Amino acid sequence: MADATRETLQNRNGHPDNGRPETSHHTRTDPKRDEKGYYGVPPIKAAHWTWQIPLYFWIGGIAAGVQLFTTLANVLGHEDEALTRVGRYTSLVAMILSPILLIWDLGRPERFYNMMRVWKLRSPMSNQSWSLVMYGNLSGLLAVRQAAEDGLLGRNFLSRLLIQLIPAKVLSILALPVALFVGSNTGTLLSATSVPMWARNWAFMAPTFLASGVSTALSYLSLVLHLGRWGEEKTHTVLRRAERATILVEAALIAASLIRMGRWGKPLFSKEIAPLFVGGTLIGGIAAPLALLSGKETRNKSILTSVLVLLGGLAFRFAMVHGGRQSANDPEAYFSFASGENAPQPEDKV
Amino acid sequence: MATGFLTDTTVCIGCKACEVACKQWNQIPADGYELSGNSYDNTRQLSGTTWRHVAFIENPKHRRLTGDVDLVALAEDVREQLPGGAELDALGRWTFMSDVCKHCVEAPCQQACPTGAIIRNEFDNVYIQPDICNGCGYCVPACPYGVITQVPEDGRVFKCTLCYDRQRDGMEPACAKACPTNSIMFGEVEELKKVAEERITTLRAKGYSQAYVYGTPEVGGTGGIGGNHSKFILLDEPETYNLARHPFLPQAKVRGAFVTSAIAAGVLGAVVALAFRD
Ligand code: SF4
Ligand code: SF4
Repeated sequence: MADATRETLQNRNGHPDNGRPETSHHTRTDPKRDEKGYYGVPPIKAAHWTWQIPLYFWIGGIAAGVQLFTTLANVLGHEDEALTRVGRYTSLVAMILSPILLIWDLGRPERFYNMMRVWKLRSPMSNQSWSLVMYGNLSGLLAVRQAAEDGLLGRNFLSRLLIQLIPAKVLSILALPVALFVGSNTGTLLSATSVPMWARNWAFMAPTFLASGVSTALSYLSLVLHLGRWGEEKTHTVLRRAERATILVEAALIAASLIRMGRWGKPLFSKEIAPLFVGGTLIGGIAAPLALLSGKETRNKSILTSVLVLLGGLAFRFAMVHGGRQSANDPEAYFSFASGENAPQPEDKV
Repeated sequence: MATGFLTDTTVCIGCKACEVACKQWNQIPADGYELSGNSYDNTRQLSGTTWRHVAFIENPKHRRLTGDVDLVALAEDVREQLPGGAELDALGRWTFMSDVCKHCVEAPCQQACPTGAIIRNEFDNVYIQPDICNGCGYCVPACPYGVITQVPEDGRVFKCTLCYDRQRDGMEPACAKACPTNSIMFGEVEELKKVAEERITTLRAKGYSQAYVYGTPEVGGTGGIGGNHSKFILLDEPETYNLARHPFLPQAKVRGAFVTSAIAAGVLGAVVALAFRD
């Protein structure tokens, strides 16, 4: 690494400590000697994102997980009409809410369509816009077919034509990678910034968001099917098994993220965020559901588990976004991160 | 041809003429009257409504001027043992620095922008097209120097344009024009590089061995973003001026994140698929 600055600075005037000699007025123990930065003014600026963005992360994650589960069920030959129906309508609603939330958050909402001027693969925000357009259209088509099947469009020629014309299986297989991209990109969106806590965790950010998206989606499906008393017995069993497994994957990824973040992950345990992250996500969204899932299954218990996982996932997203704000506002965190091997550098390839 | 700034902090006197000239020329709204308590710097930082910011660094961490000092000799660069054992360093350790957008060679803000509002113009400056920006604010946390912010009343984001309009008319940017000590130099990046090297040589000859250029990929540690088109001559650690030592390109890891996401998607797919087994 080209580290000429550091060398120049360390060697200057022959003093190892940046050329600052000890004086009677400023002894080596004077804490001000090592204070870095400029009156504590944050050297980078935090994102302005308010509640809309973490809420979108949550909804986008659920959409991704729902698509994953319903497509797999379809491909693996597990036909459950109620499941398919819930899945398709959910994706549509999620794909209506997501753009609303995102456009709401813009400084100039009336110019949202400028997102469609270009497509930049290196900009997660651009990728997000385009993947939402694609997934939105696919889920719209699937929902139209579902509506036709359900007779919501009337039992007429048009409905039959739509059922004929919309190839559900092909579309849902096509939609799967796009949906998974939407889910994981919510994490990439955070990690591709200069914010130490997010950038440090580039490798696990997207996987963790995706895993959390899948676990919340499975809980969501199980919650809705339970509440409506819909779905086959097998669907519930599979959901339960899958839930347990994905929560474990999610827990492992959160642990890996925390290890990777190291000292830059401190904001997650700060006074303001710890209740959300430790209480909401780690205990409420992971530990408690795992305990509940291992016992005997009852309907009420399943509903409680699902609600806990869903809230835990929401708390996780708020904690991550707000933690990033704290991280960006902490000069020490940024300077220590951007001073050496910690930050990604051009020479380290993935 | 690429144009840029060279800001020589060693001759800056902290008059803030650049701040004022920038505000006037670009018709940027005022930031209000607030006292920060940070030396004489009530501007505090760069933002969507402050495109030049003069930092006032009173450096108590350094040698103080003590004893009976001959200020005339001092101003004339006398470096021998001073009477009364007085020590000094860079004229009593006032440091000023007129900060500005660095016009990064691989600009993170530009790579982040989903609308393509941020472009490189014909002068190779990083320019935000105000008629395209929709205020998504994604460039804000991308910038490794905290240059851009959203202006709430407007909704869009703004930053230094390197006086695109003036350059098109063959004039230098307003701040460089106004600077009375020529601390702010404007010109072609290659030329400025040479000027900077000469200045460093002069400074070193005068005994300021710590002087260095911030903003070249080889020297300043700014290789992560390919260097800066607006460079600085500094006497202190970058952090003292609120600059990162090794700014990095956040988007360098987007491809890596694609790979890990794909793996994660595969694993999660397999885990869920396994749950379907009877
Ligand atoms: S300093 Fe910030 S705003 Fe200026 S070009 Fe670089 S990334 Fe963009
Ligand atoms: S706020 Fe404007 S300039 Fe910044 S990334 Fe969004 S569209 Fe681009």
